[in-house]
Order: sequence, then structure tokens, then C-alpha cells
Amino acid sequence: MKCCYCALEGRESEAVAICIVCGMGLCMEHVVRKDVDVWEGGYPFPSKRVKAPLPRILCPECYAALYGK
Amino acid sequence: MTVSLGKRSIAEAVGTFILVFFGAGAAAVTLMLAAGTTPATPFNVGIGALGGLGDWLAIGLAFGIAIAGSIYALGRISGCHINPAVTLGLFATGRFPGRDVIPYLVAQFVGAAAASLLFAWAVGPDAVAIGGLGATAPFPGIGYLQAIVIEAIGTFLLMLVIMGAAVDERATPGFAGLAVGLTVAGIITTTGNLSGASLNPARTFGPYLGDWLLGGQNLWGLFPIYIIGPIIGAVLAAFLYDYLSGD
Repeated sequence: MKCCYCALEGRESEAVAICIVCGMGLCMEHVVRKDVDVWEGGYPFPSKRVKAPLPRILCPECYAALYGK
Repeated sequence: MTVSLGKRSIAEAVGTFILVFFGAGAAAVTLMLAAGTTPATPFNVGIGALGGLGDWLAIGLAFGIAIAGSIYALGRISGCHINPAVTLGLFATGRFPGRDVIPYLVAQFVGAAAASLLFAWAVGPDAVAIGGLGATAPFPGIGYLQAIVIEAIGTFLLMLVIMGAAVDERATPGFAGLAVGLTVAGIITTTGNLSGASLNPARTFGPYLGDWLLGGQNLWGLFPIYIIGPIIGAVLAAFLYDYLSGD
């Protein structure tokens, strides 16, 4: 799979990841990694944040849409 | 990583405050509304004079809605036990750490006391003199031991629902608050006019302390009913659920 962003810019590069939202192929230059905290438990126990966050791979557009940045 | 014990204790105090202010407050307001009416039977001491069992359903729903709201608001922070019997039931079955038990119990009692005192201040002297701050006591014809047994059975059902609807990992997520709140409402509707339907030592402690400090009735002699009954019921339910759901 090729990177969609690079293709739009007239370049060609191998994709190393896929956006979890739109499925777009992404090269290292265009991939956005957003770590998401994971919580377990809840009533009647206090929620606990698990030690390691969950990595979430996004393209720049989906990242901007989800997080407004 | 969980929220600090201090913050969790504050959440427990706030949750118990909500429970007592709205729940016990509803019982006090019902007594104030019924003041001056002639009870239809000697079994009726005020609650029930206006709408029969409907009075108890209304009080039960006030408790139930306050509990459900507290669970959804604070359940992820402290676990929202807001009931020493529930905390001890979870501790007895090894689900709750021993070092957190005392801070949770203290927070629950403090929250309940604050709710009763603030309710008395906000409503005025009639809240104590007529409403008794919604204190629980066995009703005419119900003895000490009978009241303990009724409290134990009521809390047994409450804890059983907590175990099945919340503790059990197979439970449908998101419904525990509603299920627990409605269960409490149902238990109060049936047993309110028998034992007072406390199901919770902290819920009884707040009004007892408020009444005692503000010139109302001294009911401390009845307090063991609302300690022994709920704790026995909750611990039994927790162990029974473990036994029934085990391999």
C-alpha cells in the first residue's frame, strides 16, 4: 500500500500504517500517533488507568477532526 | 493507577450526602405534609396518610433516583458505595482493600451527618420536630429482632443486585446505577413501614445525629438494628453470590 498523502502531492512512498478512522495508508512522514488512556473497572470499584496507553494511528485530517488541532 | 484515597473519600462523602439529603429528606417532607391528618390505622405514623403505599413509593423513588444519579456521577471515582454495609460486603469477599475501609466508612458517616444538619438548617425546626430528619425506626408491632431481620433481608437483596448487575464481569455494562436505584426504591416501598428501610448504617446515622444535636428524639438505642441488619445482609449476599456464580 502507498501513502495517500504522498500520492496527492505527486510523490510515491510506502505506507507504514493505516488510519484507524478512514483507512488511509500513511507513510512515516504523515502518520499521527495519538496515545489514548485506557480505564478499567468502575462501579462499585474505582476506575483504574492501565499503565500503558493504547496507541492510536490517525491521518492528519482525522486527527484534526477528532481533536481540533 | 486510581484516584487518590483522599479524593475517593470525598466522593464517598458527597454521594452519601446526596443520598441522605434527598432520600431521608423526602421522608421528613412526607411527615411534614401529613402533619395534622388523622392516621387511618395505628400502623400508620404519618407516612402513608396521604397516599398509602404510594407515599413509600415516592420516598423509595427519591432514594432510588438519588442513588442512581450518584452512581453515574461518582461510580468511576470512588466506586460510590455510599453505604458501609456495601463497603464491608466487598471487603469481606476480598474485593476491596482493608486499608481503604476505615476512610470510606468515615467519609460515608461524615457525608450523612452533613446532609442531615444542612437539611435541618435549610428547612427549619419542623424538619426536626415533625419530620425527625427522616430518621428510621421500627413501626408499631415490629420488634427489635424483627426489624434486624427485615433490614438484613432488604440489604441482602440490595447487595445481591450490586453483585449481579455491577460486580460480575458478565453484567450488561451501564445499567447498574438504574438497577440498584430501582431495587432500593422497591425495597423501601415494601419494608419502609416495617423497619424504616434504612439498608444503610450511614443513612440512619445522619438523621439520628441531627435529631440528637438539634433537640429532636434520641433514637440511638435503635441504632444497632441499622448496623447489624444491613451488614449481615450485605455480607451474606456477597458470599452467596460468589458461591452461586462459582464453578
